[in-house]
Amino acid sequence: MVSDFAAVAVFLVLGAGFVLFNFLLAKLIRPSAPTPIKLSTYECGESPVGSAWIQFNVRFYLFALIFVIFDVEVVFLFPWAIVYRSLGLFALVEMLIFLAILIFGLFYAWRKGFLRWY
Amino acid sequence: MSAFDLTKFYADWQIILPECFLFVWALFVLTLATLGKKDEPGRSGTFALWTILGALITAVWVGVTADGAAFGGTFVFDRLAVVFKEVVLGGVILTAISSIGTVGRLEVHRGEYYGLILLSAVGMLLMVSATELLTLYIAIELSTMGLYVLAAYHKGSRRSAEAGLKYVILGGISSAILLYGVAWLYGLTGTTNLAAIKDAVMNIYMSTGGFPPAMTLALIFVLAGFGFKLALAPFHMWAPDVYEGAPTPITAFLSVASKAAALAAFLRVFFVGLESAAMAWTQMIAALAALGMIVGNVTAIVQTNIKRMLAYSSVAQIGYILVGAVARDTWGATAISFYTMAYLFANMGAFICVIAFSERTGSDEIADYNGLAARSPVLAAFFALFLLSLTGIPPTAGFLAKYYVFLAAVNAGYLWLVIVGLLTSVIALYYYATVIRKMYFPSGETASTITVSKSLTLALVISTIGVLFFGVFPGPFVGWIQNAAQMLLAGK
Repeated sequence: MVSDFAAVAVFLVLGAGFVLFNFLLAKLIRPSAPTPIKLSTYECGESPVGSAWIQFNVRFYLFALIFVIFDVEVVFLFPWAIVYRSLGLFALVEMLIFLAILIFGLFYAWRKGFLRWY
Repeated sequence: MSAFDLTKFYADWQIILPECFLFVWALFVLTLATLGKKDEPGRSGTFALWTILGALITAVWVGVTADGAAFGGTFVFDRLAVVFKEVVLGGVILTAISSIGTVGRLEVHRGEYYGLILLSAVGMLLMVSATELLTLYIAIELSTMGLYVLAAYHKGSRRSAEAGLKYVILGGISSAILLYGVAWLYGLTGTTNLAAIKDAVMNIYMSTGGFPPAMTLALIFVLAGFGFKLALAPFHMWAPDVYEGAPTPITAFLSVASKAAALAAFLRVFFVGLESAAMAWTQMIAALAALGMIVGNVTAIVQTNIKRMLAYSSVAQIGYILVGAVARDTWGATAISFYTMAYLFANMGAFICVIAFSERTGSDEIADYNGLAARSPVLAAFFALFLLSLTGIPPTAGFLAKYYVFLAAVNAGYLWLVIVGLLTSVIALYYYATVIRKMYFPSGETASTITVSKSLTLALVISTIGVLFFGVFPGPFVGWIQNAAQMLLAGK
């Protein structure tokens, strides 16, 4: 039992060590010639405008939340799809009920006007 | 998965029927909130009340017809579940009735108020029945998610916002601590099923003659997680601020229904799952119970706001309830269940009085209760009765509850804890009696009369019947919960 978890610990240490080692190695052998342009923030080729620490619209969170719900839904859909054949009609009905509950959430957000960007 | 057994699935769904019922109608109430042109509080409130009544009847019906475990032993509907489901649903009904005035005064999101209460109640019902730690965790999350939003329901109020923020942050931390404890338990025993944990813990004890330090660590984390949910000292610091800032019906809901559900989970985890580790946790719980009684009662004396006073008093009440936990036997579980029932009616009733008072005067200050007996004799009489029941004065249910709890502790050999309990009860009598004295023997002029709305009167009458009925005729009920406790401890 404990030795099972020891494998996880070893993996963690080796994984972290591998990354650190490579960074260190790269730092030792690469040439270093910084210029202001090289050090500037990368923003898809545009020149950066202002600080990233700005107050942005709270609506982003609502969209993110709604997205996450439907994202996580897939986690439940995949195992269901794999054993679907042996489960039959009952599982189909169950999954439809589950989806209906999720879609209700979307319906609620839509009716309350959370999907409008104004 | 090979052959799929449809009848087994129907049996599972039958056992979870009260939760399903409540959940479907909770969604229906939320749908109503979205469909109406204007939020109509009356409509969703009426639906919510019928829904809860329906769930109550369904829970009784399932308790009579179906009995046993479902979903691979993660969910159980036993006698204890019946007892605590009725307590939780009783709390939800009283909350819903006493919310009518509060919801009427809301400016936005009226319909969602009841929807969130119902969804939170679903979580509490699941909590009562969960016999597997992760199921329990998800149930706790479901019940508190709704409460976070409800605590911050007065959108413009700073205090309400503070209550919501504090509750969500501390609630999140406590959930993480509980989950960490569960992880340690899983690491030690290799399972999250409570019955299997019981056997595994016994095996650890048998093979090593003691418990590894990790066991103590797991116990501390789990106990701390429960301590936050129950507002048990020293994990109670969120309670006064949240209780004060939240809308008063929600405060009542928080302090009664969610605690009753957490106590049922506590009984399952500590009296069943960790029963073999009892020698490791009994001392901890005895110390926490004593601390709760002392801190809660002493701090309550200096409060000037009635909601804060009741918050500290409920910290003390949880201390009294946990005195029963040191007994670890049928009597201990019976005493805890009975105390929860008595606490439901007394505390709920006291908060409904606070709602009725602030509805007319807009104040929660204890000083303003001066001369309430002259302004509204009925309200003052109700309030005095509930405060006396919280103190533990006969013939109220609070007296018998304290008696059973202390009796269980004395039989278990914890005389010192009972002495602490009795001494702190005297302190409690002091601050409860101060409010009663202010109401009946006013100093100076008293203001105009106060009328109590019909719905609140109904809620007050129900609570009074509960307080007096269980105080005078406890016999059948005690026999019933004793039976439930026996079956819980026998592992059936």
